[in-house]
Amino acid sequence: MISLYPYFAFAKKSFLGRSAYRFDHFMGILNTILRIFIFWEIYRALYGGRAEVDGVTITMVATNFILSLGLDSVFCVNDYYLPNRIQDGSIATEMLLPVNFHGRMLADNLGNALFQLLFHFVPAVAISVIFIGIAAPADPLMLILFFLSALFGYGVLWTISFVAQMLSFWLINVWSIMTIKNVFINVLSGSMIPLWFMPDWMSGIIRFTPFSSIYFTPVQIYLGQLSLSEILQGFLIQLFWIVFLFSAGMFLWKKGQKKLVVQGG
Amino acid sequence: MKNDTIHLMGVYTGTIMKSWFQYKVDAVLRSLAVFLREATGIIVIYFTLLKFDTLNGWDIYELLFLFSLLFLTYGVLIIFFTGLRDFGRTVRDGGFDRFILRPRGLLFQLIFSNADWFAAIGHGGLGIVLFVFSAGNVGITWNAGSVIYYITAVIGGVLIQGAIFLFLATLNIYLLETNSLKELFYWNMRKFAGYPISIFHKAIQFCMIYVVPFAFVNYFPAQYLLRKEDMAGYPSVYMYLTPAVGAVLYLVTYGFWRYSLRFYKSSGN
Amino acid sequence: MSFIEVNEVSKTFRVSKRSAGIPGMLANLVVPKYEKKRAVNNISFSIEQGEMVGFIGPNGAGKSTTIKMLSGILYPDTGSVRVNGYIPYRQRKEYVGSIGVVFGQKSQLQWDLPVIDSFELLKAIYRVPDEVYQKNLKRFMDMLDMSGFINHPVRQLSLGQRMRADIVAALLHSPQIVFFDEPTIGVDVVGKETIRNFICELNAKDKVTMLFTTHDMQDIEKTCKRLIIIDKGSKVYDGLLSGIRDAYGTTRQVDVEFAQDCTVLPIEHVEIKELDFPSGRKKRFLFESREVQIDSLMNSLLADYAIRDLTVSEPEIEGLIRKIYNGEVAQ
Repeated sequence: MISLYPYFAFAKKSFLGRSAYRFDHFMGILNTILRIFIFWEIYRALYGGRAEVDGVTITMVATNFILSLGLDSVFCVNDYYLPNRIQDGSIATEMLLPVNFHGRMLADNLGNALFQLLFHFVPAVAISVIFIGIAAPADPLMLILFFLSALFGYGVLWTISFVAQMLSFWLINVWSIMTIKNVFINVLSGSMIPLWFMPDWMSGIIRFTPFSSIYFTPVQIYLGQLSLSEILQGFLIQLFWIVFLFSAGMFLWKKGQKKLVVQGG
Repeated sequence: MKNDTIHLMGVYTGTIMKSWFQYKVDAVLRSLAVFLREATGIIVIYFTLLKFDTLNGWDIYELLFLFSLLFLTYGVLIIFFTGLRDFGRTVRDGGFDRFILRPRGLLFQLIFSNADWFAAIGHGGLGIVLFVFSAGNVGITWNAGSVIYYITAVIGGVLIQGAIFLFLATLNIYLLETNSLKELFYWNMRKFAGYPISIFHKAIQFCMIYVVPFAFVNYFPAQYLLRKEDMAGYPSVYMYLTPAVGAVLYLVTYGFWRYSLRFYKSSGN
Repeated sequence: MSFIEVNEVSKTFRVSKRSAGIPGMLANLVVPKYEKKRAVNNISFSIEQGEMVGFIGPNGAGKSTTIKMLSGILYPDTGSVRVNGYIPYRQRKEYVGSIGVVFGQKSQLQWDLPVIDSFELLKAIYRVPDEVYQKNLKRFMDMLDMSGFINHPVRQLSLGQRMRADIVAALLHSPQIVFFDEPTIGVDVVGKETIRNFICELNAKDKVTMLFTTHDMQDIEKTCKRLIIIDKGSKVYDGLLSGIRDAYGTTRQVDVEFAQDCTVLPIEHVEIKELDFPSGRKKRFLFESREVQIDSLMNSLLADYAIRDLTVSEPEIEGLIRKIYNGEVAQ
């Protein structure tokens, strides 16, 4: 029986640690709201008074940005958790601790994510909804499924970072890799351009990547665009990516550990 | 004394170059990553305009031209003002203490010991690509007048953003953490600045013109060359003000910086 | 007017105060609390040209803050600092060319580059003439035995090597005053000895004025004649190193090994302890130096008993200073 207690302790620590930068926190909220507003204004100009484009109303666009940028603020992933520890050598001692390293990594991120959900997502979304407005969820069940799907979406985002972090066993500096990874996430996940408006050939490519599972699947569920069977399919795709990426990450982790042992830490 | 300053600039630059070439692969990857990261907004606007054709009367080439000014000025800026952008970190790791202990100008040291040539290549390269791609397709007649205008506008745009960095660096003397403030006043405003400001809410336009005057970095200079209809909403003199705004803003901020140094608290211990 | 004049200087910092637990965190998110911490409290001292002064105190006593005010990094809140005729924080550019500062915890060398590249950069920054640079570099490299690693990147150096390189970096422009902030921290015994000898020689030959903070009392004992102790921002001692013993360590101890078992008659003001009980061959004599003259005690012992061996010892400075920190010694 593995005790979860230490992981709660790590999560609590990162949760509490967030309060240290009060001013930063408020600025962060403002930042999210501004990002939502920029896209809102751009799309208002693009729509130029039209009720809908390709069957997508401006309210749906607003909903897409509010939810995906809101979730973006909650989805805390520290891309440098492992790389920093490999660079300064502290990984060797940390692996000796009687706590699962990945569990600790996740707990640390989750503590942050919970803090962000309560103190960032809620106010930022509330203010955006007041000033911009948002489509109501299709029905209460869809709202619940939205949150569930968002949780899986976080899983996908986290495991992508997990794999990328493992590369730090072989590379001195992973900043470039992380930056390029985040470019892909930004463009292909729908948080900067709603995926409805992607050219068809791009949509074809995106279908085979994990990126649309992060924000766009939850948003579609929220808007009631998916039938129950499509929702189920969406969940399965999210789960597939989580399992696949996590396994890939673990494979690299094992290899990396060996490399670390050979080098003598 | 003048020669001596240039000599030191050379030594600093040589030192930076040598440091980078200790990690050759990383240096190249870094330039590429910066290029791609900065291109994100461009890719997004490109896909968007495939669907929507124009944004408030601006077509894709005109928008790219607007963007190119932003990246060109930033490419120059990053050579001179990286040290100010990263000032918070320099304070925290004690680097600024060390600058104080050396008999040279503080800004001079901050600027020349941090010049980020690779990022400059990434940003400036993107700016040049965008410029080449768009400048021939937006109906500008390039003659001596417009070229001179363009160059002074770029210099003014660099100074405006340099002043913003300097202002934020100065705030760092009073506040422990200013990353969010920087995110808000610089990076977010810059995101707005990629688009014609006329599409935004009046309050945001006001900010872009009078608070963090990004509009003078690219929108008004681009208007001088492109003359789009939405310029009707602003006094036409604004198209000529960029160099003046840059110079005044920079001088005022420099005064604030000089005044604030006495409150510097150092770090740790 | 002394070379370095510090006059009733104080410096206060504002630090944010954290409350514990989740309620405390929420409260802090809305209304932050600050408290004032007086890092340096009304300190005065003066140092003459060519002096070498140890500047010690427990962690957080205000040593670094004082050094930072002396070197022009910080403005004092009240009081005045004058060094070599300059006001450090007002005449920064003119002043700092004449000082060198070594922060043991923070290297000023270029991390990724060979040591020599950092030196070349400093030469340009301080406008050191070629012949002075070459002369200094050669001399310091010999003294600190650096030729083996001058072309190695700093990140590959051992702590001791890095520290030696950092010391040279602070001296290439021939400063008149050098501030050392923990220059031996983390360095092994041999390395420490090299650094101490170097510092002593520099002071003796070049008449460089030095102020020296450290946690290693051996550093002080081997280099400095004079000592300033600060604690909680205030000066608690300023005088000769040997004066510490006069002021606080007045107890003397004489251990005697006699040729045979013997009983010693009581002596006035002297406490006698058996060291080899039950045999009476080894005894310890403890007394206050102002009450008993050491020579008269020894004379009387030598006259009355057959003595095989005899050691006189003074109290360890380190122990005394620990007592001062802990407030066990009346000031």
